[in-house]
Amino acid sequence: MNIFKQEFKSNLRSTITWTISIALVVFLVMALFPGFNKDAQQMEDLMLGFPEPLREALQLNIDVFRSVLGFYSFTFLYILLIGSIQALNLGLSMLSKEQREKTADFLLTKPVTRVKIVTAKLQAALTSLIFTNIVYIIISYISIEMVKNTDYSIKKFLMMALTLFFVQVLFLSLGFILSVLIPKIKSVISISLPTVFGFFIIRMLGSIIGEKEVRYITPLEYYDRQYILTEGRYETQFFIIEIILMVIFISATYFIYHKKDIHSI
Amino acid sequence: MNIFFIELKAHRKSLILWCIGMLLMTFAGMSKFAAFDSTGQSINEAMSAFPDSIKTVLGLGDFDLSKASGFYGVLYLYLIVMATIHAVMLGANIIAKEERDKTTEFLFVKPISRAHAVTAKLLSSVVMVIILNLVTLVGSILIVNYYSTDTDFIGDIFLLMFSMFILQILFLSLGVFIASWSKKPRLASSISSGILLFTFMLSVIINVSNKIDFLKYLTPYKYFEAKDVMNGNGIQFIYLLISLFVVGLLTHFTYLFYEKRDLNI
Repeated sequence: MNIFKQEFKSNLRSTITWTISIALVVFLVMALFPGFNKDAQQMEDLMLGFPEPLREALQLNIDVFRSVLGFYSFTFLYILLIGSIQALNLGLSMLSKEQREKTADFLLTKPVTRVKIVTAKLQAALTSLIFTNIVYIIISYISIEMVKNTDYSIKKFLMMALTLFFVQVLFLSLGFILSVLIPKIKSVISISLPTVFGFFIIRMLGSIIGEKEVRYITPLEYYDRQYILTEGRYETQFFIIEIILMVIFISATYFIYHKKDIHSI
Repeated sequence: MNIFFIELKAHRKSLILWCIGMLLMTFAGMSKFAAFDSTGQSINEAMSAFPDSIKTVLGLGDFDLSKASGFYGVLYLYLIVMATIHAVMLGANIIAKEERDKTTEFLFVKPISRAHAVTAKLLSSVVMVIILNLVTLVGSILIVNYYSTDTDFIGDIFLLMFSMFILQILFLSLGVFIASWSKKPRLASSISSGILLFTFMLSVIINVSNKIDFLKYLTPYKYFEAKDVMNGNGIQFIYLLISLFVVGLLTHFTYLFYEKRDLNI
């Protein structure tokens, strides 16, 4: 419990900073919706006149521009990008910081097992993410309510907003496994930023690898926002993939950390 | 001179990865062009009817999307975001790493002044930034050439890469300055990437909402936009001047603060 409290406290400031910036981005972006919507009206008439292949090439769904939820789904990728960096940062730093800040022998000479340490740190990181997500969902809800022009489905909104948490948890577990695999992490952000952007680039490779196949590679696309918007549910196969990956990452983290040589100084 | 080479060597691996990332990004983006191109000439007529705000959110601007070079203009934004992230993190890390890795004492018991060390580190990071830029330049020309039917885009790409170089130097000096000034150099790369993301978001918001146009001097991403550079306007002198002034100022303060600051050991 001590480790949990200690970790939670030391993360608190960065968690609050991340939460504020995510909330600020969603608020500012949603504030643009009214002006955008006006253009969208004329856009809609225009789009209907386009031939089908052109519409497909542009990958545009007219709904995106019409409803407030469509606009929200469109800007969600940027939120996801920031959120993923936060989660990966957190995952990478939790275990590696003991070595980086030379506190590993202080911690590991305490009468706690390594399993307990990993558990406490995981819990602390999860708590931070849950905090971020609760604030995020509340702020998104308020922003949407402020700018909405028509009614929208609260259920679909919540389903979409929750995917931030799912993606973050996956990146958190990825961060944990990476932090025990990489021998020496000197700077967390120099790993997390390129990794997340790497997934972002892979996302763009869709036209070579195939739009369907690429989605299995990059967690940023596991939860297709268009699909949620039209169908009102998640795609089961990606849900299963996420759970499998998480179980693998987390159990491997326990396993490796349990046996790992941790050098003092 | 030793510091110069040591730094080059220390960052070799990450520089190679960044170069690969840039090439992959260019390739990924241009591969979308092939899919786009198959829909034919009608794309331009369709695009011209789009309202500006929607074009901006899609990142399409005023480009001739029927040509490979026009498509490259869309892609350019992603390239400068990547290149500037590299530059700002390189700048912050190259100064902060001594304190992070506890090698400050080792370095400064050598018969060199602090100014000398900063100069060597600055030169070395400028060389790395130039390498990344040149790799991107050559890669871009080859990849665009593969998709393009004519060759009159080469001049444009040279100009775009020159603008990218100025932005890289600008963010490099920002990173170096923050690491030299901040009392907590551990946080330097987080702070400077935060500033970078903030200016990027600002440029997106300025593009979407035309009421806050006067803020464009605050964000370097508005200085050399691909659509201005490629539409024959070239590089605007005023922004070049601002950039050089800011770089000079930041570098001046870097030396000033780093000479005086208590280094954490």
